Amino acid sequence: MNSLLIWPIALPLLGSLGALVWSSRAHLIGVGVGILTLFASSLVALRFAEQGGLEHALGGWEPGLGIALRVDGLAAALLMMSSLVALAAAVYATAYFSDPVKRAVFWPLWMLLVAALHALLLAGDVFNVYVTLELLGLTAVALAALGGSRASLRAALRYLTVGLLGSMAFLAGVALLYAAYGTLDMRGLAGLVRAEPAAWVALTLMTAGLLVKAALFPLHFWLPPTHANAPAPVSAALSALVVKAAFYLVLRLWLDVFDGALTQAAASLLGLLGAAAVLWGSWRALRAERLKLLAAYSTVAQLGYLFLFLPLLLALPPGPGRDAALGGLVLFALTHGFAKSALFLAAGVIQQHAGHDRIADLGGTARALPITTFVLALSGVALIGLPPSGTFLAKWQLMSAAVTTGQWLWLPVVGLGSLLAGAYTFRVLGHAFGPSERAGGVLVGGRQEIPALLLAIVATVVLGLGANGLWGFLSTGVSVTGVSS
Amino acid sequence: MTDAHWIPLDMLLAALLLGLGWASVATRDLKRGVALFIALGLLLAVTWARLRAPDLAMAEAAIGAGIAGALLLAALRDEDRAVLPDAPIGGPRLWLLNLFCIGLAGAVGWGLLDAMAGSDGIRLAEVAGDHIPDSGVSNPVTAVLLNFRAYDTLLELAVVLAAVLGVLSLGPARPGFERAGPVLGGLVRWLSPLLIVTAGYLLWVGAHAPGGAFQAGAMLAAAAVLLRLGGRADAGLPAPGALRWLLVAGIAVFLVVGLAVIAPDRAFLQYPQGWAGGLILLIEAAATLSIAVALALAYTGGRPPGWETAGRLSASPSRREGQ
Amino acid sequence: MLPQEIIFGLTGVGLFVIGLRGVMLHVSALARILAINVCGAGVFLVFVTVAYRGLGERPDPVPLALVLTGIVVAVSATALALALARRLQEGGDE
Repeated sequence: MNSLLIWPIALPLLGSLGALVWSSRAHLIGVGVGILTLFASSLVALRFAEQGGLEHALGGWEPGLGIALRVDGLAAALLMMSSLVALAAAVYATAYFSDPVKRAVFWPLWMLLVAALHALLLAGDVFNVYVTLELLGLTAVALAALGGSRASLRAALRYLTVGLLGSMAFLAGVALLYAAYGTLDMRGLAGLVRAEPAAWVALTLMTAGLLVKAALFPLHFWLPPTHANAPAPVSAALSALVVKAAFYLVLRLWLDVFDGALTQAAASLLGLLGAAAVLWGSWRALRAERLKLLAAYSTVAQLGYLFLFLPLLLALPPGPGRDAALGGLVLFALTHGFAKSALFLAAGVIQQHAGHDRIADLGGTARALPITTFVLALSGVALIGLPPSGTFLAKWQLMSAAVTTGQWLWLPVVGLGSLLAGAYTFRVLGHAFGPSERAGGVLVGGRQEIPALLLAIVATVVLGLGANGLWGFLSTGVSVTGVSS
Repeated sequence: MTDAHWIPLDMLLAALLLGLGWASVATRDLKRGVALFIALGLLLAVTWARLRAPDLAMAEAAIGAGIAGALLLAALRDEDRAVLPDAPIGGPRLWLLNLFCIGLAGAVGWGLLDAMAGSDGIRLAEVAGDHIPDSGVSNPVTAVLLNFRAYDTLLELAVVLAAVLGVLSLGPARPGFERAGPVLGGLVRWLSPLLIVTAGYLLWVGAHAPGGAFQAGAMLAAAAVLLRLGGRADAGLPAPGALRWLLVAGIAVFLVVGLAVIAPDRAFLQYPQGWAGGLILLIEAAATLSIAVALALAYTGGRPPGWETAGRLSASPSRREGQ
Repeated sequence: MLPQEIIFGLTGVGLFVIGLRGVMLHVSALARILAINVCGAGVFLVFVTVAYRGLGERPDPVPLALVLTGIVVAVSATALALALARRLQEGGDE
C-alpha cells in the first residue's frame, strides 16, 4: 500500500501543530520531529532502493479522480537532502533566535515549510503541485520576513508578489492541461500530451511560473535581497531547498509530463538563460560586499548550471548517456544544497559573532572562528567544483555530455563560471585569514557550528566519494525519464 | 431556454467583468479600485451562479468579495497614500508592455480554444458522478473536496495556517473601532447570531446541497468582522490560549482521521465503508472553526493581546528567558 | 464547443492578462495585490468555464472544487501580503 509515503509529509505537519500549541517547547518539537522526518524519508528511500518506483493512491481513489503520491530516484534523492539539510538548519536555529516572539512563530512555520517541500517532491498530481507551491511560497515569505529589518520586509513582500504571479501562471497552465486532456494526474497526462498548441501554451505558462520561483536569469532579481536579509537558517533553506524545488518541478514537467511536446529550441533557450545566470551571478558574487549577498548571488549562478543540463538531456537519446547526465544533474543539485546551506549557516555564525557580514572587514575570522572558516573553505571547494566534491564529478558529466552532443557553447561558460567561483571564494578566504587583534576559542557555539560543518563535509567529501552509489540508486527501478521513454 | 438564448446576456456579463477588472486595476484612486474590485467579486458570484456552480457563488461572495474586500478596506485605513503616483513606466516601455500583454492574451486564448475544441467535454465529470454514491455525501463538490481530493483540502488548510502565522508574526493587531452608534450597534446585535446560525446550517447542509465548511467558516468570520466594526476590538474571538487550539483543530482532525484509517488494505484518508459521511462532517466541523478563526485573525491584522504568554502550557518559564 | 465556453473562456484569459499587466505596471503594494487577485479571478473563470457542460447537465465538480481551493488560497496570500505592506508602512525596526 505504500502508505509509508505520507509520513514525510504528515510528521512535519503534526510537528507544526504541536509547536504552535506548546510554544515553550517548540524547539524540542522542531528538532525531534526533524529527526523523525529524516527517519521516515530514509525508510522511503530504502524501500525505493529495494522495489523501484513507489506510488500511493490517496483516499484509495484511482489517480486522475484522486491524488497520487509518487517517488522515483530523483524525488528520493532530493527528499533525503531536504530532510538532512532541514534537520541541520533546525539544530542551528535552536541557538539562533533571541526574541521569544520570533522564536515562537519560527518553529510552526519552519515545519510547515518542510512539510510543503516533501509534499511537493512526492506529488503526482499537477493541481496538488500548485497547492504545495503556494504553501511553500507563503511559508518561505513568512520566514524570510522574520529578519525584521526594513530591507528584509521589503524583500519578502517582493518575493511574495513575484511568487504569486508565478503561481498564477502555473495555475493557468494547469487549467489548460485539464481543458485539453481531462486529467490532473502527471502519469496520465504524460500519456496524453501531444505536440499541439494547448500543450505548448500550457508548458510555456507553467515553465514561466516555475522559472520565476527558481530565480532563473532574468527573473532572478528578487532572490539576492530576500536570501541576504533573511535569518541564517531560513536563508539556508531558501537557497538550498526552496529554489531547488522549483527546478525539480521544471525537470519533472519537461522530462515526464510534456515529453511529447518538447522542442530542442525551447531547451536551448533555457540553457542560454542558465549560461547567462552562471556568468552574471558569479560576477555579482565577486562584486558583493556582504557575505550573505555573495552567497545569494552564488545561488543564482549555481541554479544556472542546473538549467545548462536541460538542452543536453534533451539532445541525448534515452540510454546510459542520458542516465549519466541526469546523475550528474542530481549530484550537482545535492552538492549545492549541502554546500550552500553550510555557507549560509557559517555566515550566520560570523554575523552573530562579529555583528556584521561585510567581507572587507572579515579580518581575524580565521583565528576567532576556525571551524566556521573551515566550513567556508569546504563549501567554497564544493561551489567551485574542485575534487573530491560532488560538483567536480557533476561538472565533468556536464562537459562530457556537451562534447558528446556537440553543444560546445556550454564549455567556456562552465570554465569561466568555475574561475569566477574560485575568485570569489578566495576573496572571502583571503579576508578571513587576514590580520586582526581578536583571539577566540576553537568551538564557539557547538549547536551552530557543528551542523554547518557536517553539511559542508557531506558536500565536499561524502557526495564526491559516494557518487557511484548515488548513480546506482538513481537508476533503480523506474528510470527517471519516466513513462514515455 | 437553451444556451443559445443566453448568449446576449452572457456577452453582457462578460463585458461587465472585463470592464470592472480593467477599471479596478487601471484607476489611480485606490479606494475606488477596491470598491470596483468588490463589485467584480460580486459579479463573479453571479457568473458562477449562471454557470451552475452555486457552492462557488456562495464562496466567492463570502470569501472572494466579502473577506478579501474587508481585508483590502482595512488596509486602506492604514494607507496614507490612497492615490497612486503617476505610472512610473513611460512612453516606449509602456507600449512594449502593452504589446506583450496583447500577444500573451492572443497566445493563451489560442491555446485555450485549441484545448477546448480538442476535448470531448466529459473529462472527469462522469468518473466523479459514478463514485459519488460511495463518497458519503451527495453534493458533488463536497465529495471532491472532502473525499476524492481531500488531501488537497488538507494542504489548503495548511496554507491558511501559514498565512495567519505570517500575519501574527508581523506585529500586534490594529487598534479597534469606537463603539458603534444605535443603528450599527443594533444591526450587529441582530446579525451576528443570525450569521452564526446560518454558518451551522451551511455546514450541515453542505453534504447534500450547496454549502460546506468553507462557506460556513466565512460566515463565522463575517460575524467576527461585524463585531469588530461594532466596537469589539477582539472581534468576539476567545482568549489566545483557546485560539491556538482552534487554529490547529482543522488540520489536526484531518490528519488524525487520515492516519487512523490507514490499514494494510486502506490508504491515507480512505474512509472505511459506511463511515465516510460521519467522518466528513467531523472534519468539516473542525475545519469551519479553524477557517473562521484564521480569517478573523487575519482581519484584525496581527497578534491579539496576550498572545505571547498563551503558549506556555506548563507553569515553568522557557529555558532561555530574557536572552 | 458551447458558445459560453468561448465567451467566458476568453473573458477569463482577458482578466488574467489585465491582472498581469497591472502587477507589472503598478508600484504600490496594494495596487499590485489587487491586480494579482484580478489575475486569479481570470484563471478561476477559465476553470469554471471548462466545468460548464450546458444548462441541462450538472457541471464537472472537479474544477469547481479546484476553484474553491484557489479562492481560499488567494485570500490567505492577500492577507499575508497586506500585513507585510502595513508593517513596511509603519516602519520596520532593527
